[in-house]
Amino acid sequence: MEKFIYTLKKLDKRWIYLLIFLSCIIPFWYPDMFPQEFSTSKETQRVYDIIDGLNEGDAIFIDWAFDPTLQAELLPMAEQTVKQALDKKIRVFIYYPLLTGISLGENLLENIKKEPGYENIENGVDYIHLGYLPIGVDMVLFSMYSDFKATFGKEGKIFEGIKTFGDIKYLISYAGSAHPETYISLQPRFGFRMGAGVTAVVGPDMVPFLQTGQLDGMLFGLKGAAEYENLRIKAGAEKKFNQKANAGMASLNLSHIIMFLFIGLGNLVYFYERKYKK
Amino acid sequence: MKKEIPLLIGFIATIGWYLEFFMAGKFFENWKMIFTTGFRNVAIVGLLVGMVNVLRVNYKKIKYNNDRWYSVYQMFIIALMVFFGSLRGISPGTPFDAMFTYGFVPLDATVFSLLAFYVASASYRSFKIKSVESAFLLIAAILIMLSKMPLGEAMWSKIPVIGEWIMDGPTSAGKRAILFGAYLGGLTMMIRVAFGLERSHLSE
Repeated sequence: MEKFIYTLKKLDKRWIYLLIFLSCIIPFWYPDMFPQEFSTSKETQRVYDIIDGLNEGDAIFIDWAFDPTLQAELLPMAEQTVKQALDKKIRVFIYYPLLTGISLGENLLENIKKEPGYENIENGVDYIHLGYLPIGVDMVLFSMYSDFKATFGKEGKIFEGIKTFGDIKYLISYAGSAHPETYISLQPRFGFRMGAGVTAVVGPDMVPFLQTGQLDGMLFGLKGAAEYENLRIKAGAEKKFNQKANAGMASLNLSHIIMFLFIGLGNLVYFYERKYKK
Repeated sequence: MKKEIPLLIGFIATIGWYLEFFMAGKFFENWKMIFTTGFRNVAIVGLLVGMVNVLRVNYKKIKYNNDRWYSVYQMFIIALMVFFGSLRGISPGTPFDAMFTYGFVPLDATVFSLLAFYVASASYRSFKIKSVESAFLLIAAILIMLSKMPLGEAMWSKIPVIGEWIMDGPTSAGKRAILFGAYLGGLTMMIRVAFGLERSHLSE
């Protein structure tokens, strides 16, 4: 036993790195190694229902506050909301508070256009990239409430009937930081409805805003994205094109199991030493 | 006057924006656009200043042989992105976009992904039950992690419910207390800036 404990104590961290690496990679070849069924949280369901309840011609505003570092969790969420809106002929305005997120969003829309059913969507008609503005989000919001179109200096049929931000039916902010709080702090002033899609790390920070009703709903980490994909698949979306978050579920499971294993082993070493090495 | 004018601007802007929140109406609708346009212009100049600063810092490094090759590489990449961006724009299919998609995206994602490895290693070394409090922390952390992975629900259907309770109750209470303190601090800072008691933004 002592030898085993000694080996664990002196374990090179590269073994941990290797196991974590393998636990992330291997499940992509064996996605069915764990049960794939899970329930949908009420926060995810709320976001889905709100967008689903909008009418043709309504507009949603996507606040794309993430860059490639967070794309594993947030890109599938953004993809599903955009597709859901496009399916219902809801106009999609995408604003980028981060410069490094723009190409990510543009590429997503280009890829969506290659999928069956979305070939005819047009930039400036069905969706528009509003770009980046070198001012804070609070200033952007004030400006949008004065003149929505002039704020971004863009043109297109999509702006028809949208004079100020008050004409936008729903705002959803995708972020891996406390960024949505800027909108939340101005929500009492303007009274818009909003939801958020955040990384699993940020999720707990947003829970108080769900409780107060300031956030209508929230997509929470990779599992939230997978739940949203499942909701859309249930509603008739083709599984083949809407599986990015679900494809990571087995990887999420196995890498966490490895984490639990190492936490357990670390504690075993600690308790053994405390008991026998006094 | 070098001090008085910035202090006066600070006073007017702070009180103006504060009142705007409560007295939103036509009177403020007209002049707030001046502020937003002004902010945008200042920010654009700020970007320019930032760019000049990057050039200056790297020029010094190259000149005095201080990590010279990193600076040369950085300057080269910046020049290349500016060149490609100016040449054919940044839309999908352009050389700028190719550099972003095949250069920046994987590099950026890789650097962030390294966190997973560090977190795993750090958990092994330091996530130990040394006291009752740390036992609570560990149990809560494991329950939350289980509730946010499909396997947790497959193991026991109540795991997501427990995870939700932890976040809705203890976590949310702690977060609310932190937020309340932070916003009170923000309000205090606003009053200090408005009345000229806080002068750090004037380099004092």
